[in-house]
Amino acid sequence: MIRLERRASFPKWLGWVIPIASIAAALVAGALLILVSGNDPLDTYSRILDRAFASGEALSATLIAATPLLFTGLAAAAAFKMGVFNIGGQGQFVIGTVTAAWTGLMWGDSLGKAVIPLMILAGVLGGALWAAIAGVLRAWLNTNEIITTLMLNYIAANLASWLIFNSRSYWRLLSGSGLQFPQGKRLPEGSDWPDLSLGSLVLPCGLLIGTAVAVGCWALYRHTRFGFEVSIISDSPEAAAYAGMRTKRKVLAVIALSGGLAGLGGAADVGNFRHVLDPKGLNQSGYGYAGIVIAALARLNPIAVVFVAVLMGGLSNAGRSLQGPDFPAGLVGTLQGMVLFFALGGEVLARYRIRRTVRIPEGVTV
Amino acid sequence: MTGITKQFSGVLANDDVSFDVRAGEVHALLGENGAGKSTLSNVLSGLYHPDAGTIHIAGRRVELSSPRDAIACGIGMVHQHFHLVPTFTVAENIVLGEKRPFRRKETEERIRALGEEFGLPVDPAAKVWQLSVGEQQRVEILKALERQATVLILDEPTAVLTPQESETLFATLRAMARAGRSVVFISHKLDEVMAVSDRVTVLRDGRNVGTVETATTSPRELANLMVGREVVFSADDHANRPVIDRERVVLRTVDLHADDSRGRPAVRGVDLSVCAGEIVAVCGVSGNGQRELAETICGTRARTSGEVFIDGVATTGRDPREAIEMGVAHIPEDRLHTGLAASASVEHNLVLKSYRRPPISKGPLLQHRAIRKNAQELIERFGIKTPDAHTSTRLLSGGNVQKVLLARELSSDPHVLVAASPTRGLDVGAIETVRGLLLDAARRGMGVLLITEDLEEAISLSDRIVVMFAGRLAGSVDRDNADITEIGLLMGGNQ
Amino acid sequence: MKRKLLVTLLVGSMLTAAACSDSKKDSGSSGSPLKAAWIYVGPTNDGGWTTAHDNGRKAVEAALGSKVLTTFKENVPEGPEVAQVIDDLVKDGNKIIFATSFGFGDAMLAAAKKYPDVKFEHATGIPNDTPNWSTYYGAGEQSTYLAGMAAGKATKSNTIGFVAPFPIPEVVRHINAYTLGARSVNPQATVKVVWINSWFDPAKERQAAESLVSGGADIIASGGDSPAPGDAAKAAGVGWTGYDSDQGANYPDVWLTAAIYDWGSYYTKEVQAVIDGTWAKGDYYGNIADGFTTIAPYGKRVDDATRALIDAKKADIIAGKFDIFAGPINDQSGAEKVAAGKSIDFGEQMSIQWFVEGVDGEIPA
Repeated sequence: MIRLERRASFPKWLGWVIPIASIAAALVAGALLILVSGNDPLDTYSRILDRAFASGEALSATLIAATPLLFTGLAAAAAFKMGVFNIGGQGQFVIGTVTAAWTGLMWGDSLGKAVIPLMILAGVLGGALWAAIAGVLRAWLNTNEIITTLMLNYIAANLASWLIFNSRSYWRLLSGSGLQFPQGKRLPEGSDWPDLSLGSLVLPCGLLIGTAVAVGCWALYRHTRFGFEVSIISDSPEAAAYAGMRTKRKVLAVIALSGGLAGLGGAADVGNFRHVLDPKGLNQSGYGYAGIVIAALARLNPIAVVFVAVLMGGLSNAGRSLQGPDFPAGLVGTLQGMVLFFALGGEVLARYRIRRTVRIPEGVTV
Repeated sequence: MTGITKQFSGVLANDDVSFDVRAGEVHALLGENGAGKSTLSNVLSGLYHPDAGTIHIAGRRVELSSPRDAIACGIGMVHQHFHLVPTFTVAENIVLGEKRPFRRKETEERIRALGEEFGLPVDPAAKVWQLSVGEQQRVEILKALERQATVLILDEPTAVLTPQESETLFATLRAMARAGRSVVFISHKLDEVMAVSDRVTVLRDGRNVGTVETATTSPRELANLMVGREVVFSADDHANRPVIDRERVVLRTVDLHADDSRGRPAVRGVDLSVCAGEIVAVCGVSGNGQRELAETICGTRARTSGEVFIDGVATTGRDPREAIEMGVAHIPEDRLHTGLAASASVEHNLVLKSYRRPPISKGPLLQHRAIRKNAQELIERFGIKTPDAHTSTRLLSGGNVQKVLLARELSSDPHVLVAASPTRGLDVGAIETVRGLLLDAARRGMGVLLITEDLEEAISLSDRIVVMFAGRLAGSVDRDNADITEIGLLMGGNQ
Repeated sequence: MKRKLLVTLLVGSMLTAAACSDSKKDSGSSGSPLKAAWIYVGPTNDGGWTTAHDNGRKAVEAALGSKVLTTFKENVPEGPEVAQVIDDLVKDGNKIIFATSFGFGDAMLAAAKKYPDVKFEHATGIPNDTPNWSTYYGAGEQSTYLAGMAAGKATKSNTIGFVAPFPIPEVVRHINAYTLGARSVNPQATVKVVWINSWFDPAKERQAAESLVSGGADIIASGGDSPAPGDAAKAAGVGWTGYDSDQGANYPDVWLTAAIYDWGSYYTKEVQAVIDGTWAKGDYYGNIADGFTTIAPYGKRVDDATRALIDAKKADIIAGKFDIFAGPINDQSGAEKVAAGKSIDFGEQMSIQWFVEGVDGEIPA
């Protein structure tokens, strides 16, 4: 008989060994899968490395894919830290693109690059206010935030679609190719976020901001009264209330912070990459949901989120590179799923340990 | 049981423990918290598999790898925390998990008869959530009896009972023994063990340090066996009593009313005052509004009307933070989940209330160095046994958990300390420490409101005892003319 | 000819080497096949738009054999990722890249400017001066008109339900053509429109079809990419005209016909041109006369008389004897929009935002 027992303590060395062992196990299992599908595992793996990380260009593409994931990952981690399950990163991200795009369209020409801080502010506010709806419902009416934030995702997606497809909104392009196919107005060039080029490596501005924000989140949770309160509330809301913490306000603050992070991601997405409000592409992206997985893999540590986001960006980037007539998208998805499965499986092993319960044979006294 | 050994991540919880239970006896397992009583009973009830050792029942060797096996062998377990479905009836709970078809009438009749036989009166048709804690315990015992248990194990059964209820339980246990069944009674309370058992096995640090006939031993001998040294209860020492400053009323409530969590009136017009240096005990059977009274004073529960004065200043009662800042310290009943954040580290729990002020924080920033320093000081001053200051508080023993809580609350130098059942569930050594700390607090001029169901404790510790019944104060007795019987009657609602 | 090809390839490979220094798998010698790639927004098994294009890709492989090596990327989201997908395909040595969703336009055009020696072709795209840039599409409205005739003859309730993707000129044009076709054989017929705001969303498409059936429609018309409306039609026992993929074999009981495109011939022609070095930029708008658009084989719900009627009309269109948008045409209010003797010219067709008489529905702002 085999059973799982919760570990009483968590040895430090396990923190290193388990992720490495998980990745090794994932590689081995993945190799079997690739073999069975009739491809060459070594070739496949070298291609993943080559197309995701090996060259400046590949890494740049990976960083582009990682940028939105970094923000949604941070958003999820920030909320989950307090046991607030904000599943609404996707919707908050979308609202962030809507508000940031509006700001960029409005002042991009007149202000030039000075509009960028305004876009950031608009994205953060948009995402934060959108999330705050669920926050108020949770804190004062005790409504389950998983459901409300999920529902708000659909509302946000439909709102963005409506702005471009069903209304003559400010965001919509109503001339030229916009007459043939509904699409957003391109933001003025002035509002394009600059990238940092280091040789062939291009670091998107959004990624740099996101990394700084990640450090900020870490410091917020580690070094401030606010972070202390969050950790106590997540542990025991009763103890927090007993100690005089304003738990309801904190719930609202955390969910708004989480939404603000996702909204900032939306601003980065529109300022750095898309330059238009693109509901079709956003709804197809699933950034918000990927962020939840990233936060879980990073064990809610904001700094770790940066690395996991880059890893995931590379994985999806390499995944599309692998795909082709002999390597269907389904196989790529299975391979990616396997990596996640092993990583989370390792997480279980870190918290629990396997015990084999042996039956002592009859008549033997030990 | 022979040579039972059980290890948890390197810690020996049971080290080569052997003991035997005879048919028709009440056998007490006595020991401090952490002595290995619960582990041993979990081995017996099939929850844990021992690393070594054997179990024989009626001379036959048995393998208990699951609670199901244990039940099949006639071992019945009554846990400290009941395993009942609140929305089911008593009868449904009792037959839950049995394979034979459920016939309501028949089952209820059978349970009623069983209850009468052993002095365990319960209405089999009542829903469990409607029952008092004592009644729920009877259901658990009936459940074991219904399953033909020949060995009944009770883990700290009196922790949740009034003295009167405990007496009834003891009668039941003796009746069961007379009927030829065996009872294993787990406790750390000497008086109970003396009152109910035929033989006592004392555990210390996972070892059996002696099995003795109850008739030939004394509480003092048992206490020494348990702790491993001479124990002194010093609370009764008159010369050392705190000096009461009658001029300074640190806590006063005027016609205080509050509702319980389900919105029913729980505190119904309480007038109470505590002076500096005074210890006032509020006795009562659990559920008569004591808990709500404590919470209302501390601001964690909103009052419906009335007033609370702390050191002469009126509170608004809307916010626990207000009470904290006015100098009210609070040891809540549920230490590990209300008084402390269980998973948080010891050092964080020690600043759970002071984190808002310098030196623990400056502006919005936490001062980790100050937190560490605070922890080092308090760990040393209060003798908290912990591997280090970063250890999760839930990993500490019950006594050390309570010390963390007391260290934090007392180190803020409050005017008033509201302590709810501060020694419940603690072992002898820890009880001694906690009581000493309470006396010490009073000596330093704090007013202490002690909420307790333990009359011995109330009498030995407090200056004055008030009894709470149905949300009202039913009587006030000075400790010098306190009479246990009279107070017990007041607690039961008999004026 | 052969020498010219060799020179082209050599020059091309040198240019590639210059433009993209770490390209390893380059088709450097005359012996290696030409690499061609397709980028799809949906899965290749969507049973509609993407399946049709992928069948086109397979047709290229069948026609050109070892002279060509094709690949594709499916389920590519419209967003910053597209640029990376294109970079990747170029790195793999693809010399011509087809993208089949409008939303890929910006990334495709940017790549065309970045990689001048690779040909970029964008289906339903917007013309641009970039020399290695082409667009291609076709007059689906002609075949849609013919499908509408089949529907007009088949309806008993005179109500036809149209599952419409986006309120854009292309779709409006198709709905108009479908309605004109239906009413040319059944003046009582009306076409009810439900917008689903998606090209490919089986759940939404099916839902829309079901709501149309419960609203009285006994023929369902697909404007989107999945065969889900066919499932709804099958469940309700009503007729179905599909779009952009021949599903007659899978839905024999409900199938009427569908407007379809012959992507394979176009793709083969373009890839062959790259191999020959004769590729020229262009904005192809195929029609029924050159075989690019047509209708799928009839299902058993289309009787012989109707088949003859439609075939005759098709022949007229091919012969240039019939213009489906010839006046008189009334708008929804019944007012004459196009006078007799006039027609809707190509420019207006490309930006049309009004419905003809007989359409029950409106174009959102």
